[in-house]
Amino acid sequence: MENKLTLSLPISVVSPTDVARLVREVDNLDEFFRQSEIRYGGTLQSPPRYSRLLDELVVTNKMNLLQKDDRVGLLTMLHELAKSAPILHISFSVDPPGPYVQKIVGWLRQNIHESILVRVGLQPNIGAGCVVRTSNKSFDFSLRRFFDSKHDFFMEKLHEVVSPEFDEQPAVKEEVAIVADEQPVGVALA
Amino acid sequence: MTLSVLLILLGSIVVVAGVVLWLLLRSPKSAKSAKSNPINDLSKQAEVDVEHIFNDDFREELRNRGRLHFEKIIGENAMFLQQDLRLTTSQLNDFMKNEVTRVLKEEFAKYEESINDAKQLAIDSIQKTQDTIEQQRELLSAQLTEQMTAEKSRTMARFEGRMADVVNHYVLEAVGDQIDLSEQLDFILSQLEMNKEAIMRDIKDGA
Repeated sequence: MENKLTLSLPISVVSPTDVARLVREVDNLDEFFRQSEIRYGGTLQSPPRYSRLLDELVVTNKMNLLQKDDRVGLLTMLHELAKSAPILHISFSVDPPGPYVQKIVGWLRQNIHESILVRVGLQPNIGAGCVVRTSNKSFDFSLRRFFDSKHDFFMEKLHEVVSPEFDEQPAVKEEVAIVADEQPVGVALA
Repeated sequence: MTLSVLLILLGSIVVVAGVVLWLLLRSPKSAKSAKSNPINDLSKQAEVDVEHIFNDDFREELRNRGRLHFEKIIGENAMFLQQDLRLTTSQLNDFMKNEVTRVLKEEFAKYEESINDAKQLAIDSIQKTQDTIEQQRELLSAQLTEQMTAEKSRTMARFEGRMADVVNHYVLEAVGDQIDLSEQLDFILSQLEMNKEAIMRDIKDGA
């Protein structure tokens, strides 16, 4: 728990998948150094490549991966993070770009939890906004939910349109419908 | 003395009466026997002469005359019988015609009555069928109206229940490609800010 608190995650580390990839990279790096210790000197070896995520994580936490203690500490903290970090599932109507998700993750780590991880999902039918799901609850911030909250307003408008007075005057009804079609979406919803 | 006188008187009266009756009964029989002699003679004479009057020729003549007279009577009766027969035949024809006509009329009347009864029966049956069909039509119409009303209410309820999805779908179809994800960031962050406490509480409780 103490290790978890000392590890500061950069906003580029978003999801549990990223953490798992970091664990795998650190593990490979540690394995490389372990093999280097038992090899004879002068043997050619190709070190594993750093990913940008690992580089940012090391820089953020001021670690030196050449040091075994740092590698072991980082590996332990990442394992602990993978097991205990809170995970949010956020669904969007379209696949969001990376910086967009990083902004949301940055806000979450500043306001909710410093090591929170986010899984990104896709729900095209929500229209706009997002749906946030925690382990126990679901928070619908979508346009569909917004329209659902405006149910009474829509029903009132619908009953105005299909009321008997309008049935007796189809020409006026048609005119109103045409004008409504020409209005901007924001004005119509207001 | 008196009694003996009376008996003598009575005896004398009876004797006198007997004499008178004998005389009265004897006088007509004697007169008749006196006149019967000439008649008997004539009868005996007639019996003798009849053989001279009714000889064979006279008998043959009488037989011929009788035959002719019999034939005449037979002919007349035959003519009368023929006339009667013709008249009877004519009357019989008329009677048969009338009877046949009457029977045919009765049969036709019965047949017409049967036809009318059958026609009335068919009309009643058709009327009942029409009434039943009309009742079924009204029942079906009522059921159809009820089902249509129920279906309309169900459809309206479902439409109203999914109003948000309908509007959402319409908006997405209309301006879905114009909704920019970056413009939603402030809205999403504001919503997260509004539900910050709930999210933190859920993370804390669920961890």
